[in-house]
Amino acid sequence: MQMPKPDQSVIERRDTICRDLRNLIADHCVVDSVEGRRAYDADGLSAYRQLPLAVVLPETVEEIAAVMKYCHREGIKVVPRGSGTSLSGGALPLADAILLGLGKFNRILDIDYVNRCVVAQPGVTNLAITHAVQADGFYYAPDPSSQIACSVGGNVAENSGGVHCLKYGLTTNNLLGIELVTIEGEILRLGGKHLDAGDYDLMGVMTGSEGLLGVVSEVTLRILQKPATQRALLVGFDDTGSAAEAVGDVIAAGIIPAGMEMMDGLAINAAEDFANAGYPRGAAALLIIELDGPEIEVNTLIDRVTKVMDSAGASSLKVSNSEEERNLFWAGRKSAFPAVGRISPDYLCMDGTIPRRRLPDMMVRMASLSQKYGLRVANVFHAGDGNLHPLILFDANETGELQRAEDFGADILRACVEMGGVLTGEHGVGVEKRDLMNIQFTEDDLKQQQRLKCAFDADHLLNPGKVFPHLHRCAELGRLHVHRGKMPFPDLPRF
Amino acid sequence: MIKVTGLEDAAVVIADAMANQQHLNVQSMATKSALGRDVSYDSYLDVSAFTGIKDYQPDELILTVRAGTPMHEVEAELACANQMLAFEAPDLHKLLGTQSAGTIGGVLATNASGPRRLTAGAARDYLLGFDAISGRGERFKSGGKVMKNVTGYDLSKLICGSYGTLAVFDEVTFKTLPRPETNISLLFGCEDMTLAVAKIASVFASPHEPNAAAILPGSMAASAGVDVPGAMVVIIRLEGIDVSVSDRALHLLAADPSGAKINENSSSALWQRIRDVELLVNQPGDVWKLSCAPAAAPNIIAAVQDQFDITFFADWAGGLLWLAGPSGASFGKALRAALADNGSGYAQLVRDQADTKTVITPFQPLSSAHYALHKRVKAAFDPLSVLNLGRMHDGI
Ligand SMILES: Cc1cc2nc3c(=O)[nH]c(=O)nc-3n(C[C@H](O)[C@H](O)[C@@H](O)COP(=O)(O)OP(=O)(O)OC[C@H]3O[C@@H](n4cnc5c(N)ncnc54)[C@H](O)[C@@H]3O)c2cc1C
Ligand SMILES: Cc1cc2nc3c(=O)[nH]c(=O)nc-3n(C[C@H](O)[C@H](O)[C@H](O)COP(=O)(O)OP(=O)(O)OC[C@H]3O[C@@H](n4cnc5c(N)ncnc54)[C@H](O)[C@@H]3O)c2cc1C
Repeated sequence: MQMPKPDQSVIERRDTICRDLRNLIADHCVVDSVEGRRAYDADGLSAYRQLPLAVVLPETVEEIAAVMKYCHREGIKVVPRGSGTSLSGGALPLADAILLGLGKFNRILDIDYVNRCVVAQPGVTNLAITHAVQADGFYYAPDPSSQIACSVGGNVAENSGGVHCLKYGLTTNNLLGIELVTIEGEILRLGGKHLDAGDYDLMGVMTGSEGLLGVVSEVTLRILQKPATQRALLVGFDDTGSAAEAVGDVIAAGIIPAGMEMMDGLAINAAEDFANAGYPRGAAALLIIELDGPEIEVNTLIDRVTKVMDSAGASSLKVSNSEEERNLFWAGRKSAFPAVGRISPDYLCMDGTIPRRRLPDMMVRMASLSQKYGLRVANVFHAGDGNLHPLILFDANETGELQRAEDFGADILRACVEMGGVLTGEHGVGVEKRDLMNIQFTEDDLKQQQRLKCAFDADHLLNPGKVFPHLHRCAELGRLHVHRGKMPFPDLPRF
Repeated sequence: MIKVTGLEDAAVVIADAMANQQHLNVQSMATKSALGRDVSYDSYLDVSAFTGIKDYQPDELILTVRAGTPMHEVEAELACANQMLAFEAPDLHKLLGTQSAGTIGGVLATNASGPRRLTAGAARDYLLGFDAISGRGERFKSGGKVMKNVTGYDLSKLICGSYGTLAVFDEVTFKTLPRPETNISLLFGCEDMTLAVAKIASVFASPHEPNAAAILPGSMAASAGVDVPGAMVVIIRLEGIDVSVSDRALHLLAADPSGAKINENSSSALWQRIRDVELLVNQPGDVWKLSCAPAAAPNIIAAVQDQFDITFFADWAGGLLWLAGPSGASFGKALRAALADNGSGYAQLVRDQADTKTVITPFQPLSSAHYALHKRVKAAFDPLSVLNLGRMHDGI
């Protein structure tokens, strides 16, 4: 993975830059020692590491603004960072960029039950939002598996989802407002406690922009009342095709479960070894289907889903009869990553989406790719919305295996696009999928996206080298080809 | 007027307008062309021929349709599979005195959403992807045809509610949802707005899953066939499967026995009238819509009621106010002042009876920093201002 060539003149000015930063924010908030910086040299995509020029950890929004203004004036790049759990290298430092860490923004500012929202600083963890309101029966719906660690600012930047986003939506659907600091150091509020903003939906564009458009310095999140009951079904199938069809049958029956997850044989066995969740070891595919809501509704829907599973040819079926049992059903799925980590020294977690009906084709394709590359792959899958998480097993100590695993992953993502899907469902493009962007998008598509980037950050100072395979200068992107005096087209009807 | 049949044609028209420094007004069925700022254009770009359903996979919850397809056609197609667009787009044709509900493209361009917006999201939450021609005359796409996708910037959000000022879109892909099997409504009389908002908050603090919540003045409720004592009537909608809806209603009525229940037919009819703002059609004067924090609604209403003779009702638990009041600038100014005194939000002129838009801007004015950013975003898509220049804001 090629990162943009670092600007040596900036690197040479490192000492001056650190001194200047210390004039802007408190001394202890600038980290410039090698050991100090080392703690920030990678995010969740740990195959890639880089020491940042310096780390700044501001404590107030005014300090963020001052740092941004300074960097803008001096032409210094900025990489924002929340908790560093990104799986796509979005928070990977650059040698000539300061790393702007938001870890000190860890306070919940307002819990507002009448307007049903929480206002929080961006460094607060996802789970802390739910913890702050659960005693009153509320929760925050998006639940990435990393929720004990990842920050809500990072969730906004990645538009993160979770197992419950089939019914409750991604971050973007649960976000009411943000405060944003632009690269010029301007502080802007977008949205708020009201629902519709009535102007360009810049908050919607900021969501999922991977730190390339601005720094999120505050969020207003919608909270929901916790459902009265949650129950889950654990359903085994002898082939993945029938399991995929069963998922479609549930939706066709007018039921939107709170979550609908699928695992393949390798993942089932790895998870069962790890968690003893009672998974059917012989099954080729396992569905975990969760229903939530009023008790009477959940019980009725459990019956309906059971019938759908029976006619779809399920080979085994269990329904949770207690919270304990429901949690056990999930325990295997939730530990799928560490479980796979136990059967292989390393693994790479991919994240493409396909139209669900293509799942059987995808399984065939993956099996043949697995043979081609000589690497095993375990599959966990947000089946309801077609989001795949193939885990490619490899050993980084074997020369060439990392490269082989990455090539295998790229082939899977190519297949996703070919089957009508996309490169990433929730983990973001970052550096990981950057060079695959032109599989999904034309050059014109990508240029239009970069023009939007130019409206926020004309000098490409925010998180460069991420998301876009080629950085075009904004002046070049803005150029127009106008053919003056051209004959108006004659064939179109005019009235 | 230039009527185009596809994006290739539209690209040619836009290139031509660029060459001749012309400004175009993008129109579909033009049911809403009276709305927005009063601007004159060199020509019209008519996209109403972009019609037809391209792909619909009910069990994938995915619908791809061309933007000029009339709303009623889209809704009819979805109904065949017992599905819907969950944001419940309003049909304002009675309020605005036009012929029809318009097209799906018009709904997207205005991000128009109805009562279920409170719990299920707006049009912008259901648009998954689109293809379009920018004001540069270049074809581009964004998003995709799958439900979960974070690849690249989410331009779908930007295009929703951009009133055709950034790009002309053709194929749009939505997430659809199953229609609820049934719905009923509960009615609670309250003495004033403050108590009504508090009542709704208490219902939303229960696990009984209300899905829409409106507040009507007692007299308006009576004229809509809902006779409940109280200066204000809170209407709570419950949707879902039959046993669940009945059970939830039972619990909520047990908690507050003053409430009344109306059955599916009356409930659906009432919410349709709320959604389509029919309750204000016969009121004289202008109609404004105002989006605010729900808890701010009582203060805002009190502030404007002090100064003007108004008729109003609230949807979105108080977060959406529809108000009829006198034409002219002072009513809108008072609304915006009351909004500013009570947090954030926006006030927009929707029905203009007496050229009010010539004396006050129909869209909520932007701060200078927001304006500058909007202008740069506009230039990123439409640098020569070929598309709908000035429809939303001066210069945008
Ligand atoms: C200023 C304004 C405010 C409105 N406010 C509301 C509201 O608050 N609530 C509500 O429910 N409805 C509102 N509407 C109405 C909404 O536009 C209609 O519900 C919609 O369906 C009209 O469809 P139409 O085909 O007649 O669109 P038209 O009246 O032809 O166009 C409406 C808008 O959409 C744009 N547009 C249409 N098709 C395309 C396309 N293919 N590509 C790019 N742009 C396109 C037009 O340029 C125009 O700005 C508003 C409309 C306008 C113009
Ligand atoms: C074990 C594990 C499980 C995971 N499971 C899921 C899952 O189920 N669903 C899912 O969607 N993701 C998942 N992830 C990915 C990751 O947790 C999310 O992307 C998360 O939202 C990142 O948050 P963060 O605070 O760690 O951000 P970081 O990793 O620090 O940063 C991520 C990106 O956001 C930017 N950024 C961070 N904060 C800000 C800010 N305040 N303003 C502007 N830009 C900012 C960074 O520049 C970077 O581009 C998982 C990760 C791990 C390690």
